Amino acid sequence: MIDAILKNDTRKRKILIVEDEFVNREILSAMLDSEYEVICAESGEKAESVLQSQAVELSLVLLDLNLPDRHGLDILRGIKENPRTAKIPVIILTSDKEAEVECLNLGAIDFIPKPYPIPKVVQARVRRTIELSEDRDLIRGTERDSLTGLYNREYFYRYAAQFDTFNPDVSTDALVLDINHFQMINERFGKQYADEVLVRIGKAILAAVGPSDGIACRLRADVFLIYCPHIPDYQAFLDGVVALACGEDKGRIRIRLGVYSDTDKEVEMQTRFDRAKIAADTVRGSFTDFIAFYDNALHEKEVYAERLLDEFPAAIEGKQFAVYFQPKYDIRPEIPVLCGAEALVRWIHPELGMISPGIFIPLFESNGLVRKLDQYVWKEAARQVAQWKKRYGRTVPVSVNVSRIDMLDPDLVETLCGLVKSNGLQFSDLHLEITESAYTEDAQQIIATVNTLRDAGFVIEMDDFGSGYSSLNMISNLPIDVLKLDMMFIRSVFKENGNLRILKLIVDISDILSVPMIAEGVETEEQLKALREMGCDMVQGYYFSPPKSASDFEKHIEKWLEAVKER
Amino acid sequence: MLTIDKLRDFGANVEEGLQRCVNNEMLYLRLVDKAIHDPSFDTLREVAEKGDLEKGFEIAHALKGVTANLALTPLYTLICEITELFRNRKKVDYRPYVDSIIAKRDELLALFN
Repeated sequence: MIDAILKNDTRKRKILIVEDEFVNREILSAMLDSEYEVICAESGEKAESVLQSQAVELSLVLLDLNLPDRHGLDILRGIKENPRTAKIPVIILTSDKEAEVECLNLGAIDFIPKPYPIPKVVQARVRRTIELSEDRDLIRGTERDSLTGLYNREYFYRYAAQFDTFNPDVSTDALVLDINHFQMINERFGKQYADEVLVRIGKAILAAVGPSDGIACRLRADVFLIYCPHIPDYQAFLDGVVALACGEDKGRIRIRLGVYSDTDKEVEMQTRFDRAKIAADTVRGSFTDFIAFYDNALHEKEVYAERLLDEFPAAIEGKQFAVYFQPKYDIRPEIPVLCGAEALVRWIHPELGMISPGIFIPLFESNGLVRKLDQYVWKEAARQVAQWKKRYGRTVPVSVNVSRIDMLDPDLVETLCGLVKSNGLQFSDLHLEITESAYTEDAQQIIATVNTLRDAGFVIEMDDFGSGYSSLNMISNLPIDVLKLDMMFIRSVFKENGNLRILKLIVDISDILSVPMIAEGVETEEQLKALREMGCDMVQGYYFSPPKSASDFEKHIEKWLEAVKER
Repeated sequence: MLTIDKLRDFGANVEEGLQRCVNNEMLYLRLVDKAIHDPSFDTLREVAEKGDLEKGFEIAHALKGVTANLALTPLYTLICEITELFRNRKKVDYRPYVDSIIAKRDELLALFN
C-alpha cells in the first residue's frame, strides 16, 4: 500500500544545493531541475536560512565543503544536531578523500565528486538517496508507538530477534513492566495525566536501558516490554525508572516488573515475554513487592495450570470429576447423629491421578469454569441423595458449594429448583453452601438471590465463616440457616496457645442469631469435646470420616443405621 | 562570438562539458562565459604576489572545480598544477604559474571576438 502511495505521489521533491560557485550551482541545477524543485544557496548563511524556514519540505541537501563564510562540515553538523533537520539526507560535493570519513561520521549519506559525474549518475544518486531516506522515515513512522516513541510490538520483536542474531553469546533478560491499577489512574486523574505518566515511563526506560543497548516497546496501554543484556539485579533499574517516571507522584504510581532472567534462546521471543508477564502478575496489587522473577517452579505451575484448563472440557465429558461425600454429625445428643454430608469434588485424572481441589478450584474460579463444574457436582449430588432416599427410606441431606460466580447467574434459581424437582427431592434435602466472602461483594444482589433460594425452601449454609470480614451487624441481617466455621480457624485455635475464647465467642454468636453452627476440620477427640462443651451443634472432619466416594459413603450410612438399630 | 567549435579548437573537452550541462549548448557557453570572466583570476594574481598561500589555495581550488566541470582542459591543467603547489604550501615563485593561467584565460577570452 505504501509503495502504491509513493508511486502515485507526483509532488516534486525539494532539494537544496549549497555551493558558492555559480557555475557549479547552475550545472547541478540543470541536471536536477526537471525532476526536482531546486533551491540554491551560495553561502552558509543563506543555507541556514533555507534550512530554518523549509526544513519540513526539504528532501535532500547537496553540500559543498568550501564556502566563503562557513565550513561545510559546520553546516552538516548543524543539520544533524537540529531535530528539525536531522532526518534530511545530505550528499557532500567533494573529491577530498580525507574529508569523507569525517563527513560520514557527522551523518552525510553519500558523495558526489568534482568534476561532477554525468547527469544520469548524479540523478540516480539523488533519486536513490531520497528513496532510501523516505523508506527509512516510513519505517520509523510505523515502527514507533506515537505516544512514547518506543518501538511498537511488531518491530520490537523483530529487533529483539535481531539482537540475538548479532549477539549470540550475550545473555539476555526479558522484562515486562506495568503499572498497578493503571485504569484507576486514568479514571481518577484523567487521560491526559495518564498519558503523561506513560510518556515519562517511556523516557525513563530508554534512559535506563539505552546505554546497555537494550530495546523497549509499549505493548499496549501501560504494558512495556524490555529486552536487554542480562544483569543479576533489577532493583536499581526499577528505582531509576520510578524516580524518573513518577517524580513527586511516587505515592500514586506503583510500577511492577516481571523478569525472565537469562532467557533460554531456544524459547520463542514472544513466549519469553509471556514468562516475564507471568512473573509480573505474581506481584499484582502488592504494596511491598514490585519485582518478580520467573523461575522453574512458576513455569511448571503455569504449564500445569494450562494443561488443566485445556483438559477441563474433556474431563467433564468423560466424568473424570468424582463427587465425594464427607459426613456431618450432630453432636448435641450424647451419641452423635449422622445429619448430612458435604459434596466435595475430586478430579481423578487418567494420567495425573487424584488432583487436589485446592489446585483446580481457584484456577476455575479465576475464569468462570467453576460454574460448569459446580453444576456437574449439584447434578451428581442431587441424583445421589435421591438414590439414597429411595434405598434407605430416609434423607441424608447433602450440601453443595455455590460459588460467587454462580450467584451472578440469572438462571441459578431455576437450575437448582429444576434439580430438586427432577430428582423427586424436597428442597431441604439440598443445602447450599455460600462462602462468607461472597456476601461482602455485590452484597445486595447476592442477598436478593439467597432470599429467593431460601424462600423456595433450600437450607442456606454460610461457608468458611471466620475467614472473611463480615461485620456482626451484617451477619444479623443475612438470610442464612447455618453458620459453617472455617476449617483453618478451627486448626489455628486448637494449636498450642490458640485462643479458645474466640471460638467460644463465635459459637455464642451463632447461638444469639439462633443459627446452628457446624465446625469443619475436626480431627481429634479433644477438639470434639471442646466444641461440644462450647455449644457447637454439628461437626465435620476426619475425626468422623474423610470425604468418601459415593459407594464408600453408602457403607458409612449402612454402618451407622445398623449401629442405631442395635441401640 | 564563442562557439562550441572554437572551444573545441581551444582544447576543451566539449562533449564532456556539454554532457554535464545536459547537452544544453546555450547553457554551456553561458557558463564558460561566466567562468572566464570570473574576477578570481585577478585575485589569484594578487594573493600569489602577497604570498598568501592559504587564500591562494582556496581560489585555485575553486577555479579548478569550475574549469573541471566545464571541461576547459588546457586551463584546468594549469590550475591543477598551481593548486597542488598551494595545497602543499610550497614556497615558490608563483608568478610564472599565474601568468600561464592568465594567458590561457586570455586566449579563451579572445575567442569571444
